[in-house]
Formats: sequence, structure tokens, C-alpha cells
Amino acid sequence: MSVTLLSVATAISQAILGAIGSVLPQPASGAVTNVNTVDGLAALIFAAILLLASMLNTIVLIWWERKLLGRFMDRRGAMHVGYAGLLQNFADGIKLFRKDTVKPREADTLGFWSGPTAYMVTSLIIFAILPVSTGWNSGSLPLSLLLALAVFSFAPLFIFVSAWSSNNKYSLIGGMRSAAQMIAYEVPILLAVVAVVLVSGSFDLQTIVLEQTNYWFWVPLFLALVVFVAGMLAEMERIPFDLPEAEAELVEGWNTEYGGMMFAFFMLTDYLRALLGSFLIVLLFLGGWTMPGWVPAAATSFPLAGIFWFMLKVYIVFTVFVWIRASLPRVRTDQLLRVGWNRMVPLALLSVVLAALLVTVKCLPVLGCIPTLGG
Amino acid sequence: MAAEGVRKEPKSADNPILWVARPMATAARQFGKSLIRPSTIVYPFERLEDPQFREEVAVAAGKPIGVGAVWDNYRGVHALNVATCISCNLCAFSCPDLCIDMVTVPGGDPKHPKKCPEIDYGKCSYCGFCSDACPEGCLTMTTRYELSTAKRSEMVYSPAKLYEVFQRKLPMNPVRIELPENEDAILLDPPLCIGCNACSRDCPTQCITMIDIPKVGPKPGEKPAKRIWKEPVINDSDCVRCGTCISVCPKECLFWGSRT
Repeated sequence: MSVTLLSVATAISQAILGAIGSVLPQPASGAVTNVNTVDGLAALIFAAILLLASMLNTIVLIWWERKLLGRFMDRRGAMHVGYAGLLQNFADGIKLFRKDTVKPREADTLGFWSGPTAYMVTSLIIFAILPVSTGWNSGSLPLSLLLALAVFSFAPLFIFVSAWSSNNKYSLIGGMRSAAQMIAYEVPILLAVVAVVLVSGSFDLQTIVLEQTNYWFWVPLFLALVVFVAGMLAEMERIPFDLPEAEAELVEGWNTEYGGMMFAFFMLTDYLRALLGSFLIVLLFLGGWTMPGWVPAAATSFPLAGIFWFMLKVYIVFTVFVWIRASLPRVRTDQLLRVGWNRMVPLALLSVVLAALLVTVKCLPVLGCIPTLGG
Repeated sequence: MAAEGVRKEPKSADNPILWVARPMATAARQFGKSLIRPSTIVYPFERLEDPQFREEVAVAAGKPIGVGAVWDNYRGVHALNVATCISCNLCAFSCPDLCIDMVTVPGGDPKHPKKCPEIDYGKCSYCGFCSDACPEGCLTMTTRYELSTAKRSEMVYSPAKLYEVFQRKLPMNPVRIELPENEDAILLDPPLCIGCNACSRDCPTQCITMIDIPKVGPKPGEKPAKRIWKEPVINDSDCVRCGTCISVCPKECLFWGSRT
């Protein structure tokens, strides 16, 4: 039996409850060591581990971006707190969390406070769905891809809610832009995903990854990858598609009125979503945790090798995002919408047609014979 | 048709792929360059040039300081030679920011305590008036610029600390404004003088000597004057015009004036 995250959580839960149960007298002890109690605590521990892992990764991701961006700009980035500035983001986080959170007098209370929270929570939910390795998530969900994308596209709604309830013109413009951007980019993203689904024949992310054991999907579906990456950049609201934030023209965009902890929430969630976008790209196009056959078996069989290779790919994808951020200027709204509707939707449709063609003529297994791609 | 004087874009700029590819190639090149060593100097830990180095350069070049380099004219922290300070108070007088306090330092006699400037760099505007006013040239400005401290109180430099700066033999700022020949002198209103010796006692350059004057008897009907029959004589060539004698005179019989 392979060790999964859930089995680890169950073991921890059993150990804790067993220790408590041995101290307590009999009737209470039986209730504590009950299967349902153990499973309930295991689920909590499972969620806590996921939360911790995703948060830690997000913070390391921010550090990685700061360091990389520094080098792109011929400077060093954070470097004094911790080794090479690794703890700088923790220090920044502590500073932000200690600050007062101020609500503008005219702002709508419910929307203003619930917007950031919902934005963060909906982004965190996806981590429970995405499989990082074979044993990582709770099990295979038949429609996990659709669920992930559906929850992923909630965010602009909450951005819009918090922007509108801030009662600030800059926030509102930012929120409007976010909504427009979502409409323009959700369609090509989903069409690009359709191509992946056609080739893999499944909506289950675990199956999609296992289908890539022989060849990674970016080879036959390169067009879909380009569309998906561009769409993801817009979904994550990163440069060059960070129009909703656009600090040069909109102060700080939709989070202008937020400070302290709420601002930290927004910033953290932005990078959480960058991490999620990289996760999705790796899962759909870069083979997830699988490695091609020419990689020596020793490199793919050590414990947690799947997670290692997966995270390596994720960080490489994110490095490309940082590279794009360091290179390209922000586009205008009309340019963004024109690229979205006039260029990316046709390209995505084309990639769907190509995928259908590839599946129909059954030439895909040939790719598996090329040694550099799989085996 | 491109207008006259407008640079024509190369044909390749029309290709949208290059709009993305070119900046990314540039960024990658920059990244590769700075991967080994970014241009940033990690300032407190490393310096482009340190003051010691600058001094060595100035000495090696053998050139009079104040010629050639920008930093030769830089006005930074003061250097104070406590040994030659005559406690004349002129630096404190001339300071427009009132950042100089004269504090007692060891080395004076009990009657005539030695006072040297203590400078608050939180107030100092680095105008250099004090070093221009200093008659002995013992208060000068160096090119030292590193002043940041953790506490505000550490910005007050005591004479001892200023002497430490002097001992480091940093390049001094030599630019002294050549003051016009000072025709003013300390004059005496003899009838008011009581010969008390305060001016002579407190003169930092000891240029005042008390000389005996003939005793004048009281006019008929007046009480005899209660005074010592002496009068100050000021050696103008030694006088630094600090005005200490005027401020200590109990009868206000000394004043600024012209001998001609």
C-alpha cells in the first residue's frame, strides 16, 4: 500500500486520539477513538497540511520572484532577513498583520470585508483538488479539472465585489477591468482545455497526468499551451495583463482601499493564484509528476520523487512568468480585449480542431516512440 | 511616407512576434549578465571607495587638496584639534544653526577653563562658517560623510569625538574664505574702566596686558574713585577679534571701533 497524504493524516489522527483515549475513562475513551472521530480529525489534519504546504510554497514563490526580478533589473532583491532574504516575506507578513485595518466610511461593510476573504478561500479550495503526486490529494475526482477551473474563475467576481464596495473610483475601474478581462480570457482558456480533454479523454486531472506518461501534451498541443499560458497570465492578473491593478494609472487598482491584513490577503492570494496557474500548466501540458523515460530510474523512484519533479516544473513555469513580467510592458484595455477575442479565441478553436484531428487519425502514440519525449 | 526627421522603424518591428521576443531576449541577456554579479553595491557592507582610500590617493598624488576632485570641496564632519583650540568661542558665535555648544574639556586651569566646541549634527547645516571663523585653524571640515546613527543623541559629537576624527587625518576641506582685512579693533572708553583685569584674564590669546596708569585724585567735593589704577592695552596683531573681552567687561567700557 502506497503512502498517501490522507493515510499520513489518519495515522497522526489515530496517534493523537489514541494517546488521549488511553488517559480518559472507558465510555469517553471509546467515543474518542471512534472511527468517525478519527476520520474527522484526519480530515482536519489533511486540510491543515495542505494549507501549510500551499502557504509556504506561496511565500517561497514570492521570494523567488523578488530574487529573480532583482537579477532581471540588475539588482539583488531581498537579501538581509534570513539566508539570501528567504525570511523577508515572513517579516513583511508580520508587519502587515500587525497593522490596523481601516474601512472607508462610505464603503459597504459586508462587501468590503467578505470580498478579500472569499477571494482567498476560493483560491485555497483548489489546492484540495489538484493532485501534486499520486498520493497527494484525497482521491481521484471524475470532474476535478472542471471543478478547479470553475472555482478558479470565481475570483474576478469577488474582486469586483470588494472593488465596488470600496466606494472608490480607482477600485471600481480596477474591478470593472477585472470583470472584462475574465470574460475575454475565460473562453480561450476553456477551449484550450477542451483540446487537452479531447486528447486525454478524461476530466480527471489524475488521469490526464497518467495519460502523459508516454508523451507530454505540450508537444501535440503546443498551440493550446500558448493560448493557455497567455490566458493564465490574464487570469492571474500578472504583467503584461495586470490592468485591474495597474499601479501607474489606478493607484493600486481594486485593492486601493485595503491596508494591513486585508492587503496581505490580496497579495498572498495573487501569488497563490500564480502558483495555481503554474500547477495547472504543469498538470495539463508538462506531464505533472511523470518524467520521461531517459531520466534514470534512480531519479524518479526515491521517496517523494513525484512531488519533487512536480514542484521543480512548477517553479520553472513560474520563472517563465517572472521572465515575461520583467520583459513586457502592460497592454491597454482595448489591446487586451482585442487580443482575447480576435486572436486567442480563433487560435484556441484551431487547437481544438487540431486535437480532434490528432485523436481521429490515431497518430498520437507515435510521439511516445521519440526517446526525448517519453518511453 | 515618413515625415522629415522621423526615424523610420525597421521592417521587422511590424512583426508582433518580435514585440514579445525582442524584450524577452533583452531581459534574458540582462539576467545572464547580472547572474554573476549585479551592479548593486551592498552599501554598508561594501563601498565604491572608502575614505581611507581617498586619503591615500590624495597623498600619493601629492597635490594640494582642493584641486581636481569634487570631494576635495566636500564639507562633512568636523575635525577638531583640541590641542590648539584657544576657546575663543568664535565658532559658536558664527554658527547660524546654534548647533555648537562650548563645553569644558580637561586641560585648562581652574581660573581659565578650556572650552571646546561640541557639535550637534542633527542641527548642523554644514555651511562651514565655524571653520572659516576659527582663528587658529583647529576646527576644519573633513570629507567624511557617514553620519547615520541609531540614536539621536549619538549625533552630538563631543570634542573628544571630533578630536578622534582629527586623528584619523582625513582629507580636510581647505577652502577658507579669505576674509577682508578686519579694520575693527577693540577700543576702550578710559573714564569707565575700573581696571578689574577681567578682559586680560579671559582673553584666549593673552593679547591684553594691564598697564599702570597715574593715579588721579578725586575732584573737590567727590568721593575718591574705587578702582585699580590699571588699564588694558590690546595688541591688535595678536587679537583674534573674538569679543570675549567685551562680553566679560563688567562696566561695558570696551567696544568695537576703528583706530583710524
